[in-house]
This record gives sequence, structure tokens and C-alpha cells, in this order.
Amino acid sequence: MSTSTLSAAPTGAWQAWCADAAATARKLLANPLTAIGVAVIAVLVAVALFAPWIATHDPLRQDLFAALQPPGAAHWFGTDEFGRDVFSRLVHGTRITLFIVTLVTVVVGPLGMAVGVVSGYFGGKVDTLCMRVADVFLSFPSLVLALAFVAALGPGLDHAVLAIALTAWPPIARLARAEAMTLRQADFIVSAQLQGASHLRVLWRHLAPLCLPSVLVRLTMNMASVVLTAAGLGFLGLGAQPPLPEWGSMISEGRRYMLDSWWTVAAPGAAILAVSMAFNLLGDGLNDALDPRQSS
Amino acid sequence: MLPASSWPLRRRPLLALPALPALFAASWGAAHADSPDDQLLIGMSMNNLLSLDPAAATGLDAVTVACNLYDSLLEVDAAEATKLRPSLAQSWTVGEGGRRITLKLRSDARFASGRPLTALHAAWSLQRVLKLNLALASVWKSYGFTAANAATHIRTEDAETLVLDLPQATDPTLVLMTLATSMTGYVIDRDTVLAHEQRGDLGNAWLTTHAAGSGAFELEEWRPKELLTMRRAAHHWQPAAKLRRVVFRHMTESQTLRLMLMRGDLDVAGGMSAPDVRALAKQPDLVVEEVRRATMYYVAVNARHPRFADERVRRAVLRHLIDFQGVASGVLPFYGELQMRPVPPGLPASLPQPGYRFDPSSARRLLAEAGLADGFDTTIRVVAEAPFTGIATSLQATLAQGGIRASILPGTGNQVYGSMRERTFEIIVGRGGGGAEAHPHSGLRALVYNPDNRDSARLSNFQGWRTGYADAALNRLIEQALLTPEAAAQADLYREAQQRFDTRVGAIQPIAQMLDTQVLRRAVKGYRGHPSGATRLREVYKEGRRS
Amino acid sequence: MNLKWIRGGSSAGLALLGLLLLTFMIGRVMPLDPVLAIVGPDADRATYEQVYQQLGLDRPLWVQFGRYLGDLAQGDLGGSLLTGLPVTQDLARVLPATLELATLAILLGALLGVPLGVWAASHHKRWPDHVARVLGLVGHSTPIFWFGMMGLLVFYAWLGWAGGIGRIGLGFEGAVPRVSGLMLVDTLLAGDTAAFRSALRHLLLPACVLGLHSMAYLSRMTRSFMLAQLTQEYITTARVKGLSRRQVVWGHAFLNIRVQLLTILALAYGGLLEGAVLVETVFGWPGFGSYLTGSLLLGDMNAVMGSVLVIGLLFVALNLTADALYRVFDPRARS
Repeated sequence: MSTSTLSAAPTGAWQAWCADAAATARKLLANPLTAIGVAVIAVLVAVALFAPWIATHDPLRQDLFAALQPPGAAHWFGTDEFGRDVFSRLVHGTRITLFIVTLVTVVVGPLGMAVGVVSGYFGGKVDTLCMRVADVFLSFPSLVLALAFVAALGPGLDHAVLAIALTAWPPIARLARAEAMTLRQADFIVSAQLQGASHLRVLWRHLAPLCLPSVLVRLTMNMASVVLTAAGLGFLGLGAQPPLPEWGSMISEGRRYMLDSWWTVAAPGAAILAVSMAFNLLGDGLNDALDPRQSS
Repeated sequence: MLPASSWPLRRRPLLALPALPALFAASWGAAHADSPDDQLLIGMSMNNLLSLDPAAATGLDAVTVACNLYDSLLEVDAAEATKLRPSLAQSWTVGEGGRRITLKLRSDARFASGRPLTALHAAWSLQRVLKLNLALASVWKSYGFTAANAATHIRTEDAETLVLDLPQATDPTLVLMTLATSMTGYVIDRDTVLAHEQRGDLGNAWLTTHAAGSGAFELEEWRPKELLTMRRAAHHWQPAAKLRRVVFRHMTESQTLRLMLMRGDLDVAGGMSAPDVRALAKQPDLVVEEVRRATMYYVAVNARHPRFADERVRRAVLRHLIDFQGVASGVLPFYGELQMRPVPPGLPASLPQPGYRFDPSSARRLLAEAGLADGFDTTIRVVAEAPFTGIATSLQATLAQGGIRASILPGTGNQVYGSMRERTFEIIVGRGGGGAEAHPHSGLRALVYNPDNRDSARLSNFQGWRTGYADAALNRLIEQALLTPEAAAQADLYREAQQRFDTRVGAIQPIAQMLDTQVLRRAVKGYRGHPSGATRLREVYKEGRRS
Repeated sequence: MNLKWIRGGSSAGLALLGLLLLTFMIGRVMPLDPVLAIVGPDADRATYEQVYQQLGLDRPLWVQFGRYLGDLAQGDLGGSLLTGLPVTQDLARVLPATLELATLAILLGALLGVPLGVWAASHHKRWPDHVARVLGLVGHSTPIFWFGMMGLLVFYAWLGWAGGIGRIGLGFEGAVPRVSGLMLVDTLLAGDTAAFRSALRHLLLPACVLGLHSMAYLSRMTRSFMLAQLTQEYITTARVKGLSRRQVVWGHAFLNIRVQLLTILALAYGGLLEGAVLVETVFGWPGFGSYLTGSLLLGDMNAVMGSVLVIGLLFVALNLTADALYRVFDPRARS
């Protein structure tokens, strides 16, 4: 059995897709910056999965007598104003960050693609309606709109996720629509229709998989901004509520003690920076890898 | 870098780029925005400063500002809160069996507009409070005044005499104190205000953002939640203020206030967090001033909740499962002073602290008697700021030692006090109560008094109603004491009321009297924090140039 | 051409209407009670009801929205429920502050980001490219509020170089008459150099913080535009013809991306409004971002709707400008 995917001819769309993906992954990892990004994200996922074992203390346990301790042997990143261990809160915060990113992507991806593909394929009134709705959401800075939603729904992690998702789907929809519009005239689509495929079948089996790669790239590039928006909402007090160890709200709370206890703010800030950078690096790398013009 | 000569013409303006750091350096080298000698720069939170209209404004922030723009008929001494001093009124008498107060005004007072201040303006200002019928009118309504009887019961006898006929029997000293401490007692320039009246609102819209008073300062500019500036009044009936200008800047961040104080960009800062005050106290050029305010921090339970309806449970929670000493030393510094009675110290009727202690074994015994030997689950609602959260955290831990498992529900003021007004809470850590009058009645009325405990009564401005506990005998004592004309007998009745509050555990337990902590630069002289928040700045001056 | 403008305009108008409706709905769903904010927590029921009716909150939703639209048609954005001031007045006060900040920020971002992007593209895949990319990424990934806080700490608290909170030193507040609302302009017009310096010191740090974000974005986009140009044949031709690298990069490739850059600048300017919300919170900058956030958190519906309208208009205007610029400058797009 040959191990090289190049030598064996692909036997179906799925195998071809996998071979493509593997080649892309190799190209990705060849770039050192992207590799770093992937590594950081892998660490993030690992930390989130094994958080209870990696954390040294209970992130919610308060100890008012050990409040605002500097980093040391007992508390690697020091403690906050309630005596909670910052390192453990950081570690458990990865779960929240990952939760937000995953949930937003899982909601925005299918929703945006569905709206965009349908809109681009059918055109006409359906297209106009969908794009008008998308325009309403797009004609506004996403943080502010998310702010408005969360202020309306009440602060909370779920509401913040919902708000971010509601502001993040329009660009995906537009992208999918653009792709669908270019592809709907393609020969194989027309032939499928002539063979009697229903619209649903055409959309699901033919159009959607082709729009998927650019949507995925866009989604990955969006993840960084999702992390930042969520942190921004947390900073304004509208995201995850205390005592959840969300990084943005940790900065907001630690800000009151910043002058004397810099670690309460430095640690979560650095974490947000690292994760956001990693997603940006990955997104950039994906963009480069999949963009034919950039191959040298 | 590419030599400029080879740049295309259109990019030559970029040569200006190096000018930027030069500009930066130049501005740095310039003199600091010194806080000049004749200006006082104050940093405070203006989140609650929504209106400057004395009849409509609420919250302590408004008093801090407005007391410098307006004068009252009387003032309360900053050091001795029970002592009334003349201000616009030279003298006053109480007659007709305590039902009539006659005030004699000075003849030389003028408004900022130059108009002489007469009793007519004073009467109109008070009548206006009742006609507009906004939040601050409630205290006058409790004395029996209404919009209908305002014209007859608040009247002038001549240009210098104001007469108040109290519609129902009450303690006239209390009314005088209200005149002295409440914003409703400010005398407004009637003619100026009526000239700006819109749609019969008695100038409410105009006075929200303007001032027409006789105070030591005039309003210069107000940008809501940003900045308020006042300048020295041109004609003032007292010696002119020493400061030329006062600038209030809206700042809510404690660290920001601290930074600006340290850098000398501020002279006075209030509302900072305890760790910041502690750090600043160490600096030689800064002084910390703490003033007791009338509001109290408290822990309250909902006596209408089946579990807390049992007196034994309330006693266990409120008397034995709060670590008063721990909270006093760990959480309260710079925020409040330990206070376990609804009547603050310093009054003739004040009693010493009752000595409640954290005692989990007694608590457990009481809970067992009430049939809750295994404890129970409950919730503590609390506004998500210091020191409320610190008190709630401590409470959670001490309740746990009594077998009660409490979860903390932080929220905004709206959410927390909203649940209190709806009587849907279980345990709450809050702050409130105490009118600014240095009279036992104001604290008792706000915190304890509950004449009608039914849901339909909706006495949502009484903490007593909000917590759902009504003690008829205690109510009667409070009412009786108010009407007792003889001072010693009145004090006895108030002491009896406090003792009854002690023995019959109500639903609210005061923990601390609020402290207003201000940090000043040592160069600021003559600043006296006032217990009612009315810190008048006319005596304040700054000495020397900052080195 | 005219038909396109009309169509573009009407679709923008519809989008705005939809936005207003959305915000109106949000405003009514809010769990915040503006009446309580006005009367205070200790008011009695009667007072509450009185103010409730004064504000017109007892009418049905559709009536309220209809009345709002009617007022809007006359240029009346309503009064801020809390301050009682007309929202138009509030906005006229806060918008220049944000515009001043955003304009300086985008200038800084462009002056630093565009050359960086060009430099990175012209040294593609070598170390300058990587350095520029990392710098750009760091700028793009840093939480802007955290960066602002660090900036304040280092440059104000420790070094004393930058000004503190606010647009100008407290001692100068109100000393200079307000003409345009832009502090730098007003202080210059008044001839008060000390005030000007104070205003500059206060403006530089927040502008740098905001500018960092746009610098990152602009350098990324410039780099990718330049890369697209530099791989084309005419570049090779130019090199072969003997033009120096400098001339090729700046004299040929850069000129061809001007159009795209302008449109990106317009979009980046709009994106700055997002960052402004957080930066204004950190620096106590009394601008549009603070106003919007404050109104949202207090449930001041008229102020929120007015702000939404303005920001929507700004965004639409920026998008239309970007489109127009594209059409005006790029001959290929005209047809």
C-alpha cells in the first residue's frame, strides 16, 4: 500500500478533498510563523481540555487573606483581589475562550454559508432580501452592535456569544454568496440540474463543498477578532459575569489594582494577545497557502 | 531611509513626519498643566449627576456641586451635625405648640443675577418642590405638605419673614434639619427661572442644566458626565470665595484618580478604592479625609420569605452569622465605620454598639430549634462593587459555617434594588436609608419603620417595607418619639425603640455607616467634608506654588 | 451614473431604517429602566408613574416608533432621557472629540503602516517581510484596551510624558472658547499655546493606541496589494528596462494601489469607531464611544437611537465614499 497520496489516483470527491487538505497542511506548516500559530492553538486546546489537571488551584476559591499576592512559589501568577489564583483562572479561562470561539464559529459558519449560498444561487428577490438584512448588520461596527445586543439581553456569557455571532455572520454570507454566484453558472451545476437534481441536492452536494474552503479561511481569520470582541465585551462588564474567569473581565476587575498589582492585568492581557496572534497567524497562513497568486 | 531628494514630489509632505516626535518633545518640555493657585480641581464620579435642579436632582453627587451654587435658609455645622447655624435666615422660632416655624431672613442677600433675595423666593422654591412632585418631595410629603396646601402652609408675612405651618404634628427640629441639609431647601431665583419656563414646568427643564442661586459660586459650564466648572460669584452676601474657579471632572476609575493626584493634575479626589487610598496615604504631600455619611451598609433578609419569617432564623443569620469584626477590619476600611444600630452615634439618643459577635454555635442551635438543623440553600444579592462584594463574600463564608449554603448573585444597582422593591430577594447586601438629617427619626424611618406591610402598599422607599418586617409597637414608638416636644423624653423614647429593635430581630441589620473618603493635596486648605455631602468650598484656598 | 447613485442611496436608506428598527426593538427589550435612573432608587410609586408618563413610555411600541420617525423627519432626535438635553446637542458635542482622535489615529496608522507594508512586500519572504508581518500581527492581536492601559501606566504614570485623562489639562478646561469642537484647532485659534501643548499631550497617547490597530490593518492590506502588483509582468519589464528597485516599487507599483489604499483607508476609518469605544473608556475621552456606551448601560433610548443613526450614517457615507473613490480613480471600474 503506498503512503504517498500523490501516487494513487483519488477515487472520489472526498478522497480528493482529503488529499488537497493534506497538501495544504504541509504547505501551511512549512511557514514558520504559521507553524507557531498552529502550535499555540494546539497548546490552547490542550490546556482547555486538561484544565482541571493543569491548574494548581480552584479558580473560584477565594482567600481574602492572600489577596493581591505577587507571583511566587505558591501562586505562579499571583492572586487577584479575592485571593484567587491567577494562573488557575487563566487556565480555566482557556475553556471559556475556546467555548466562545467554537460556539460562534459553529453558529456563524453554517448560518452564514446557508444564507449566502441560497442567496447567491437563487438570486432575485431572495438575494435582495438576504443581502438587505445582512447590510443592516454590516452597517454598524460589530463591537457596538454586540454591545447593543448584550445590553438588551442582559450581561452574560451566552448572550455575549449570541451577540457576537449575530454580528459575525454577514461577512461570511457575503463571501459565500460571491462564490455561489460565480459557480452557479458552471457546467457541472447545470448538468446536475439537467439530470433532475433538486435545488437542495445541488446546494448541499455541489455548491456548498466548493464554497467551504474560502469560508473556512475567513472563519479562521475571524476567530482572532471574536476573541478580541469577547474580551472587549468582558472588559466593559457585559460578557461573562463574575466569578467566571473570562480574560477580558479579569482585566476589567484587575484594572482597579493595576498600579500595585500589575500581574492581575498583565497575565490575562498576554493570554489574549497570544491566542489572538495565533489565530491571526493561522488565518494568514491559510490565506497564503490557499491563494494561488502567492505561491512562489 | 530613502533620501528625500529622490522622492516623488507628492510624497515630499511626508518630510513633516519627523516633526511629530519633535512636537511631542516640545510639549513635554513645556510647563505641566499646573493646577493653578486660584483653581481647585476635583475628580469624582458624576454618574449620578443627572440634573442640577434642586427639586429634581437625586443622589449625593448633585449635592456636592449644587451646595456651592445655592444657599439654604439654615446650615448644619460640619463638625457637629446636630447644630444648626443661620445662613440665609438670621433667626428662627418655633411656635403654636410646635406647629409653626417662623424664619427671619437677612436683608442683604443677593442672587447671582443681582436680584435681592427675599422670603418670596424662599417660599416659591419650597412650593415648587411640592408642585413638581419629584423624588425629593417625598420627605416634605411625609411632613404632610402637598401641592394643594403648599401655598397656604408655606407663606411669607413680609419680605423677610417665611412661615411654615406644619400640616401634621411632627418634630419641628427635624423639619429645620431637612431645610438645612436637603437640596429642596435651596433658595432659587424665581424670576430668572420663570423667564425660562417651558410648558408650565416651573423651569424644571432649564434648571436641569443651569443654576439660578445665591451661592458663593456661579455655574460656568456643565457637560454631563464629563465636566462641570464654577466661577466665583460676582456678588455674594458673604465674603467672596477665595478660589476663582472650581473644576469638577468626571472620573470613575480609582486608579485614574490616583494617578492624577500623584502627578498633581488633581487637587481633590473622592470615591477611590481602599487599596488606592492606602497607597496615597503614604505620600507626604497628600492628606486623607474621612467623613461619616448618613447612609448605612446593611445585610437584610426578606421576612416574607417562609424561611426568614421565623424569628430564630433571622436571629441566627443577622446576629450570629455575620463576622462584624472581620468585616470591619478586612473589608470596611475607608468605606465605612462599623455601626450595628440604625441610629448613628453622636446624637443624644445614641446607644453604644450592641456587641453582636460571630457565633456559629449559637446560630446552629437556633437553626436546629427552627427545624433547619441541616441548614438550607439561599442566595445573596449584591451590587457588584466594593465593598459590597467583600461583605457578601465574607457573609457567604460565615453562613457556611452555620450550615447555610449561600450563592452570591452580583448585579447592577437596578437589578439588586429592583428585586428588593419587588420583595423577591432572599438575602441582600445593600446600602441606603438614613436621611441627611442628624435626627434619630431619619435613620429609623428609612431603615426600620413600616406602617403597612401589605404588597399593595408599595412603600418602596422604606427599607422596612422592602424587607417585609413590620413591628406595630416599634412603629408606634417611632411615631410617638417624633411628636414628643421635650428633648429628654424624646431621647428616652428613641432609646427604647433601639432596644426593641435589638430584642425583636427585624429583617435588616446595619453593618457600617458609610464613609466619604477624600484625598487632598496638602496645599489645599480649609476643606471640610460635610456629613450631608454639602461640602461648601467658599473657605477653601490653595497655598503656595507646587514645586 | 445617476441611477446607480439613487439605487445606492435608497438601499443605504433602507439599511438605515432597518437599523433603526432593530435598535428600537433592542431599546424596548432592555432590562434597564431609565425612569429609575431619573427618579432614583428611593422614589415612591407615584413619582415613578409620573415620570413614566412624562417620558411617553406608556404608549404602544408602534406609536412610539412612529413618533420617533416623525420627529426624525424634522431633524429632531429627541431628548436624552437622562440629561434632558437634545440628543443633537449632545452628539454635536461628542462627535468632534472622536473625529479628532480618529483622524490623528488614522494619519499615524497610515504614515507608519503603508510604508511598512510596502517595505514588507518588496522584500517578500525575507526577514523584513517577517518582521513587518509580526509587527502588524501584534498590532492587530493586542486587545486595544489593555494596550491603552499599559500606555497610560508607562507614559503617564511612570514617565510623565503623556497627558492624563481627558482631552486637555484640567486647569485649561473651559479656558478656550469652543469653535469647532476640535481641541487642537480651538486652542490654536485662541492663540493659547500652553493650552495647545496640553491638548496635544493628551491627544497623542490615545491616538497612538488607536493608530496601532489601524497601522496593523493598513500594513497587511498594503502588503497584499503590493504583492499582487509586484508579481505582475510590467514590474519585471520595468526592472529589465533598468529602473532601480526604489523607482519600481514607489514610482510604479505603489501608484497602482493608490485607489485600493484610499478605499481601505475609508473603511479603516469606520473601523476605528469600534476601537474608539474601548479607547475612550480607558482614557476618559468624552467622545462618541463613551457617550454611546454610557447611554446603552443606562438605558437612555433616545441617545442610543440617535447614536446608532449617526454611526450608521457615517458608515454608509464611508462606504459610499469608498465606492465613489474607486469609481472615480480607477478607469477600469467606470462603465
